Amino acid sequence: MEAPLVRIDALHKHFGSNHVLKGIDLRIQQGEVVAIIGRSGSGKSTLLRSINGLETFDDGLIEVDGERLYAGQTDLRALRQKVGMVFQQFNLFPHLTAGENVMLAPQVVKKTPKAECETIARAMLAKVGLAEKFDAYPDQLSGGQQQRVAIARALAMQPKVLLCDEITSALDPELVNEVLAVVKQLAAEGMTLIMVTHEMRFAREVGDKLVFMYQGRVHESGHPKELFAAPQTPELQNFIGAVN
Amino acid sequence: MAYAFDFTAVAEYHTQLLSGVGYTLLLTAVGATLGVAMGTLGAVLRAWRIKPFAQVFGLYVELIRNTPFIVQLFFIFFGLPALGIRLAEWQAATLAVVINLGAYSTEIIRAGIQAIPRGQIEAAGSLAMTRSQIFRHVVLQPALQKVWPALSSQIVIVMLGTSVCSQIAAEELTFAANFIQSRNFRAFETYIVVALVYLGLSIALRALLARLGQRFVVKRRAAA
Amino acid sequence: MMMEFTLWDILRNLGFGALWTIGLSLTAFVLGGTTGLLVLAARMAKSPWLQRGARIYIEFFQGTPLLMQLFMVFFGIALLGVDVPPWLAAALGLTLFSSAYLAEIWRGCVEAIPKGQWEASASLAMTWLEQMRHVILPQALRVAVAPTVGFSVQIVKGTAVTSIIGFAELTKTGSMLANATFQPFMVFGFVALGYFILCYPLSHYAASLERKFHGSTSGSH
Repeated sequence: MEAPLVRIDALHKHFGSNHVLKGIDLRIQQGEVVAIIGRSGSGKSTLLRSINGLETFDDGLIEVDGERLYAGQTDLRALRQKVGMVFQQFNLFPHLTAGENVMLAPQVVKKTPKAECETIARAMLAKVGLAEKFDAYPDQLSGGQQQRVAIARALAMQPKVLLCDEITSALDPELVNEVLAVVKQLAAEGMTLIMVTHEMRFAREVGDKLVFMYQGRVHESGHPKELFAAPQTPELQNFIGAVN
Repeated sequence: MAYAFDFTAVAEYHTQLLSGVGYTLLLTAVGATLGVAMGTLGAVLRAWRIKPFAQVFGLYVELIRNTPFIVQLFFIFFGLPALGIRLAEWQAATLAVVINLGAYSTEIIRAGIQAIPRGQIEAAGSLAMTRSQIFRHVVLQPALQKVWPALSSQIVIVMLGTSVCSQIAAEELTFAANFIQSRNFRAFETYIVVALVYLGLSIALRALLARLGQRFVVKRRAAA
Repeated sequence: MMMEFTLWDILRNLGFGALWTIGLSLTAFVLGGTTGLLVLAARMAKSPWLQRGARIYIEFFQGTPLLMQLFMVFFGIALLGVDVPPWLAAALGLTLFSSAYLAEIWRGCVEAIPKGQWEASASLAMTWLEQMRHVILPQALRVAVAPTVGFSVQIVKGTAVTSIIGFAELTKTGSMLANATFQPFMVFGFVALGYFILCYPLSHYAASLERKFHGSTSGSH
């Protein structure tokens, strides 16, 4: 088996006296689609946000494509160029058009020439089905469209792995599918995806691996279809029952 | 040539300083109480568009907010006697503070009242509350709660502004400073000390207002 | 020595005073704004010492009367053996005063930018400076226009206090005329009108900007 793309070793984190991550170990292969599930407060979001340094951690190691991240490290530039992120609240830059949102990081961070950035941006927007929205401002787009622009923005940096933090939770129900369709297509193209999600059906359908977090630990993990069919622990059984 | 600072030359005059502090605090307390009362009245008249008072208060607010306090003070103290209204220094100073703060608090409280969502008033109406009950409990109380920080800052600004009342010989803190430096010929030291006293006063006043706000405006313990 | 003042004499002299008021206001706004940016940078810097220094600076100039600040500048410079012209003390004092308030107003604008904007730009591997330059400041600047224009009214009114250290702007001119003409009611009436003419358009503009950017949400600065 080849070396994992993402390696997380013995990750610990405290919020004050609250021990939120109690030693997480995780291996993710190139092209894998991982769904992290669990109740709020289980540490799933914190874990995801640690992978690109939005949360610091107290102990342990994260490695993405050979780029290592230790506790307390402050230089995150190299790591972040390999890890893209999509947020629950989209967080598009409201003063920039959809196209400019996508162009900004390649231009500023990678110093790619502007014309080339525009080509990339148009290609990325086309990929998420929004080629015609290049000049629209975020407030002229629906929630689903904004989230697709956010995905395009992250992809424009050509990340090795894409983190998705409950990316459909802030959407009206009828807009969820257009976003999930884009994610599904990325998965089919071989993108490595780590997503915190409440969309159980999607996790079962598209995921290669399901991680169930409970009280700051990986309580159970494995292939989604197997786990859903036969959960090993009562906690996961409860969780699946409560969600469905 | 090094200048030798001498702060004891200021300390000798602590009686004058204390009486200046007392004057400033009293002026601020009376001015703030009456000024906020006037502002509440003005805000209600403005928010409910009660003719012709709403327009009169509107004009008053604009006139006061767009002219300096010192000019308002001079107009009251030096100008009004032409109309036969002759005020003592403390009366002129108090009136100027009330009129000034009244205008600012009218605007601040009106903004608070107008930020109350319509649904709140409709909900209270559906509970068969009377107009005055609705106004007191559903409109004014939360409005004051919302704008209390802004109102508090304005009261501190007004307190600092009373410093210019020394110009009409009201014997507040700056008047004391001017008196002291004319005696000890240590202007720089005197003004530094008095500036620090003002700084202490504004920190204390801010803390006091925050506490008063907790006690009377918010009427509940800080949320967990 | 008695002198007869016609209405025209009074208005002409007040007009000259008003020009000095305008000049001082512009100076204080430009220099105060520039200094304010430096204070803002220190206030938001990563170094705790710079932060603390900026905080004390702001606290001091927001917590003491403008008149005391003018006196300290006036008599402080005099200690160096330099004769201080009133205009210099006035400009310097108002600059310090304005810089503290503007720094604090602008900090509020930067902090009003949602956390998600910082996170999104961080996740795109931008450095702090790149985030500021491309994402945070362009948005903060839009929010800042209305309260900044609003504060310019405070600067214009603040210049009136410099009359006390002898700067012959509008209020000082008014005081002299009131003494000379024995018509304080009329003279101070005109003085007030002069300030109103200078300030009202600025207030009005600030309020309309506020409505434009904030929409229905209210908030006073």
